[in-house]
Amino acid sequence: MSRVGIPRSLFYYYYYPLWKSFFADLGAEILTSAPSNRHTVERGIELAVDETCFPIKVYLGHVAELCREELDYIFVPRLVSVEARSYICPKFMGLPDMVRALIKETPPLIDITVDLSCDEKCFQKDIIRVGRLFTRQARKIQLAYQHGCEELRLCRSLASQGFTMEEAIKMWEGEPMEAESETDLNIGVLGHGYSLYDERISMNLVKRLRAMNCKVLLPEHLGSEVVEAEAATVPKRVFWTLGRKMLGSALHMSQREDVDGIIYLACFGCGPDSLIGEIIERKVRDNKPFILLTVDEHSGEAGIITRLEAFCDMLRRRRNYRSESKLSPYGASLHSFENTV
Amino acid sequence: MNLYLGVDIGSVSSNFILLDQNGRLYRKLYLRTLGNPVKALKDGYASISDGLDKQHGKIRAVGSTGSGRHLAAVLLGADVVKNEITAHAVAASHLFPGAKTIIEIGGQDSKIIILRNNIVHDFAMNTVCAAGTGSFLDQQSARLNIPIQEFGDYAVKSGHPVRIAGRCGVFAESDMIHKQQMGFPVEDIIMGLCEALVRNYLNNVGKGKKIEEPVVFQGGVAANRGLAKAFEKILGLKINVPAHYEVMGAIGAAILAREQMELSHSPTRFRGDNFVLEGNFTSNSHECSGCPNLCEVVCIKRDNEVLAYWGDRCKKWESSIKQPRDRLKVV
Repeated sequence: MSRVGIPRSLFYYYYYPLWKSFFADLGAEILTSAPSNRHTVERGIELAVDETCFPIKVYLGHVAELCREELDYIFVPRLVSVEARSYICPKFMGLPDMVRALIKETPPLIDITVDLSCDEKCFQKDIIRVGRLFTRQARKIQLAYQHGCEELRLCRSLASQGFTMEEAIKMWEGEPMEAESETDLNIGVLGHGYSLYDERISMNLVKRLRAMNCKVLLPEHLGSEVVEAEAATVPKRVFWTLGRKMLGSALHMSQREDVDGIIYLACFGCGPDSLIGEIIERKVRDNKPFILLTVDEHSGEAGIITRLEAFCDMLRRRRNYRSESKLSPYGASLHSFENTV
Repeated sequence: MNLYLGVDIGSVSSNFILLDQNGRLYRKLYLRTLGNPVKALKDGYASISDGLDKQHGKIRAVGSTGSGRHLAAVLLGADVVKNEITAHAVAASHLFPGAKTIIEIGGQDSKIIILRNNIVHDFAMNTVCAAGTGSFLDQQSARLNIPIQEFGDYAVKSGHPVRIAGRCGVFAESDMIHKQQMGFPVEDIIMGLCEALVRNYLNNVGKGKKIEEPVVFQGGVAANRGLAKAFEKILGLKINVPAHYEVMGAIGAAILAREQMELSHSPTRFRGDNFVLEGNFTSNSHECSGCPNLCEVVCIKRDNEVLAYWGDRCKKWESSIKQPRDRLKVV
């Protein structure tokens, strides 16, 4: 039985159920790397060229970890485009080349090209090419791919019930998950899934917010029609798939009564983020409290905690003021205190 | 007399203040942290509480803020542990009711807080750049051999500030050296630096924020009159520097502690003099090998008693210590 390694990083958080069931149906055994940890990060930073963004560095750490295992293949797809007229960041396009250049002695890479920007013909051929590594039956390969797509839909529908993609993948693999309990704030959280759902990169953003008694609303919880319709309201169409999804989600969230505030998680050095983050901030700021958090290699969490705490304080305070209750969210009313310091 | 202790443990300074029941400042203390917050806490507490006894005053509650707020909370027993933004906003809206903008520049952080109706409406902090914060000014004052306390006095003497590149602290420094080798007077270079830092602040931290009057400028860096002047020049607005600009975070923490006591009617968590002054506090860290996260767990001890753990993502260590978490909850 062939063993295929899948790095638990980047588009793992968007497509893992598809990839896993595709390879499993073809009779392969799947091995994933451990969730990002200190070793992955350190190894990735050592390997990567300086200009890449942090998530790409972490990805290289995951690939390096898998290289230590006895594997027949490592799955490193070349993602160009996952939908018509839209693209993924160019760094993903060069991912297999980057891995080959930076990591010596990898097992053979499965570097299927995913480019659906014009049509699916080449992609379908490439699926067959990849499938032939495991079986000679083209029909079996096609069925495995269809089955993978179904599993992905299933996983996404799990996520839409209020979970992160990381949690949805765990649920899809059979782990029980508890839904969020009662909360007093509802916060929209945006960012590239591969940063947001990697607990190391996002410094556990989603769970931290939940611990602060916030309900987290993610792009995966919104219907794609709503998101696309909102994204289409800007003068020029955003041709980055993820960027458009963030923008549409942000615009939608900024109009929702039940959303108290919006947080955008950006990676320092991400090209698309530097534009999309800015556009979102300008569009959203007048409607909703907004904060942009930038993460990078630093491991100091104090900065992010301070910003999140202050943001939540601010939201509670503003809401209390709106509801004309004179109770201070900090404690008792400030006005009872003489102004005499 | 009932007193409320506010403690702000920052990267560069550790500030202590005592407020009385009516919110008047009873004592204040500004100390350099000097890389040792535990020592700063002990020394600071010893001098601020010196001579207090039941007749003269009793500490009824403690609030802590700053990047070392959790450490302070453990060593002193704090009733409120609050982030710096909320603490600064509370202090400013208390002292300057109606203030609309707070510019706060500390040792490593700079912040802008927009207040509307005395509540925080919006805020931002510096992201990946600490140019223009206190530690950079410290470094420059050491390089020029001018005590940091006199830095602002030099700046305001300048007649023609030179243009210094302010995008990045490293470039600002080389630009300053270049100007100094060309023979520009030191006052003009320092004022040029102040203006560069203000531009940097407005472009990075204040980006897109509507700065409206009244503007309050606080934090340790507000001691620098040159910076206040540069803000006035560039913004064209009046800049108010409160009398106790350097301890505003601590004042906010004390106000919050007082409110907490009034609201909860429960006894304070303050551990008293002996606990702080007589204990020997040590900290050590180890790498937890429980999972691949390999968290660096810090352990704070008083003599042989473990007071707190932190740094573990899963909270396995942190929750192993019995703490009344509900009251220490940070939000």
